[in-house]
Amino acid sequence: MLLNFDRLGWWKLVLIGITLLTAAFLLLPILFIAALSFGSSQWLIFPPPGWTLQWYRELFADPRWLESAWTSFQIAIIVTVLSVLLGLVTSFGLTRGRFLFRETLKALFLTPMILPVVVLAVALYAFFLQIGLNGTLTGFVISHLVLALPFSILSITSALEGFDKSIEDAAVLCGASPFEAKIRVTLPAISHGIFSAAIFSFLTSWDEVVVAIFMASPTLQTLPVKVWATLRQDLTPVVAAASTLLILLTVLLMVLVAVVRKGLKS
Amino acid sequence: MLSRTDAKAAGSNVPARRLTLTDFDLTLPALGLLVLFFVVPVAILLARSVSEPVPGLGNYAELLGSSTYLRIFANTFLVSGLVTFVSLLIGFPVAWALAVMPSRFASVVFAILLLSMWTNLLARTYAWMVLLQRTGVVNKLLIGLGLIDKPLPLVNNLTGVTIGMTYIMLPFIILPLYGVIRKIDPAILQAAALCGANRWQSLVRVLLPLAMPGMAAGALMVFVMSLGYFVTPALLGGTANMMLAELIAQFVQSLVNWGMGGAAALVLLVVTLALYAVQLRFFGTDRMGGR
Repeated sequence: MLLNFDRLGWWKLVLIGITLLTAAFLLLPILFIAALSFGSSQWLIFPPPGWTLQWYRELFADPRWLESAWTSFQIAIIVTVLSVLLGLVTSFGLTRGRFLFRETLKALFLTPMILPVVVLAVALYAFFLQIGLNGTLTGFVISHLVLALPFSILSITSALEGFDKSIEDAAVLCGASPFEAKIRVTLPAISHGIFSAAIFSFLTSWDEVVVAIFMASPTLQTLPVKVWATLRQDLTPVVAAASTLLILLTVLLMVLVAVVRKGLKS
Repeated sequence: MLSRTDAKAAGSNVPARRLTLTDFDLTLPALGLLVLFFVVPVAILLARSVSEPVPGLGNYAELLGSSTYLRIFANTFLVSGLVTFVSLLIGFPVAWALAVMPSRFASVVFAILLLSMWTNLLARTYAWMVLLQRTGVVNKLLIGLGLIDKPLPLVNNLTGVTIGMTYIMLPFIILPLYGVIRKIDPAILQAAALCGANRWQSLVRVLLPLAMPGMAAGALMVFVMSLGYFVTPALLGGTANMMLAELIAQFVQSLVNWGMGGAAALVLLVVTLALYAVQLRFFGTDRMGGR
């Protein structure tokens, strides 16, 4: 009866109460920041004495914010493309292959996901110092790609494992070349996996901060590094404005995912 | 490995094969990337921990022999343990409620969980820095309710880190727990009720034991993720309760001491891998990453 909603009795109220409180705990800080970004108090008083767009004006007036956002975007796009392409090729190898140590190899590909990011950050920082990649776009792309690839491989292998290979074989029997069959039959069938891989890769790179803190140079930094550096000095509402734009992007991506999922189902 | 047309095949009546890729070859580009930019750099870092400034285990002796560093290890475990405990305490009832609730309620809560998980880490940490400051909303609310007279120090200390980290870890414990509770057959609990168990007995003797593997796996995951966290403890914690990840960063960035940085990184790696091995051994491979 504990798993039957209607028979929980007054326990139901306790469970719902805790769930509502937790949902509020998770949601309110996000809404709070969005509200403060429009507040007129420089000291982040809540509720704010008045409303203003001043912080957004300051954000857009400062070229360093825009530059770092543009840097982040460029890196995230390149990482997404590379991560999906590499993820696709690797996943085909991992799912279709019948070779020794396949499971070990798969586990190895996922390790960047589980190891503490700070270890990778410090290790890559030392390595890039020696080969001159610190503070370069290439350095950012490589390090973010290492972190994004596991998510891409995970999404695409799970889609591939759910795909019936005999459909691809049938296309080959009907005269398609193996490559053509993969492009025209298999890829559309696993597009949801490719889509998740792209979204996860983009967000992994776009939100990544630990490696970026080490990788950044005075002339090249990502948006999270700019936020981090600003936060170390003070809690200015300009960060609230920047955070609100980041939250907005998350909401947009979530809506996009929901729409695409719905589209794929129907 | 490329299977090339070789002389033997060409000489026999087996048709010569074209230069083809095997499935293993497909994984080579990613493997190359991983070895060159993950395995090698980490290996070099660890090697430097036993070679700089002088060859030997001096860095490890210093790390494990100093009360300052031991206090940082202790604090790392304390914070991770606290965060895991609080997340589990809050996460279990929420996961349970989600598993039994009508789907309309549940999907709203899920949307909030996902939104929170996907929202930029720094944006969320910033929110708590503002909320918990001396003149922040939380202190004002507590004073307004008459619970305290003067503002509590909620940030730059253990309280701040625990609140901020729990906030980040909650979705990571609720989602797997939900999956586990979802899979429990309600008939087992009906059977318990038929045999005369009241709600408490069913909870303590049936539901909790059945959910225990999921709870242990989720708790271990949150614990391991917390051990290596850098950003949130650095922003919400104080100087007095530094965590391991921050120590590693400090060795490397401010002190330029690669030997000690490598040694501290190895300690974090070993603990993480050991706990991960426990996880694999007892709970299978289901887990998610974090930073």
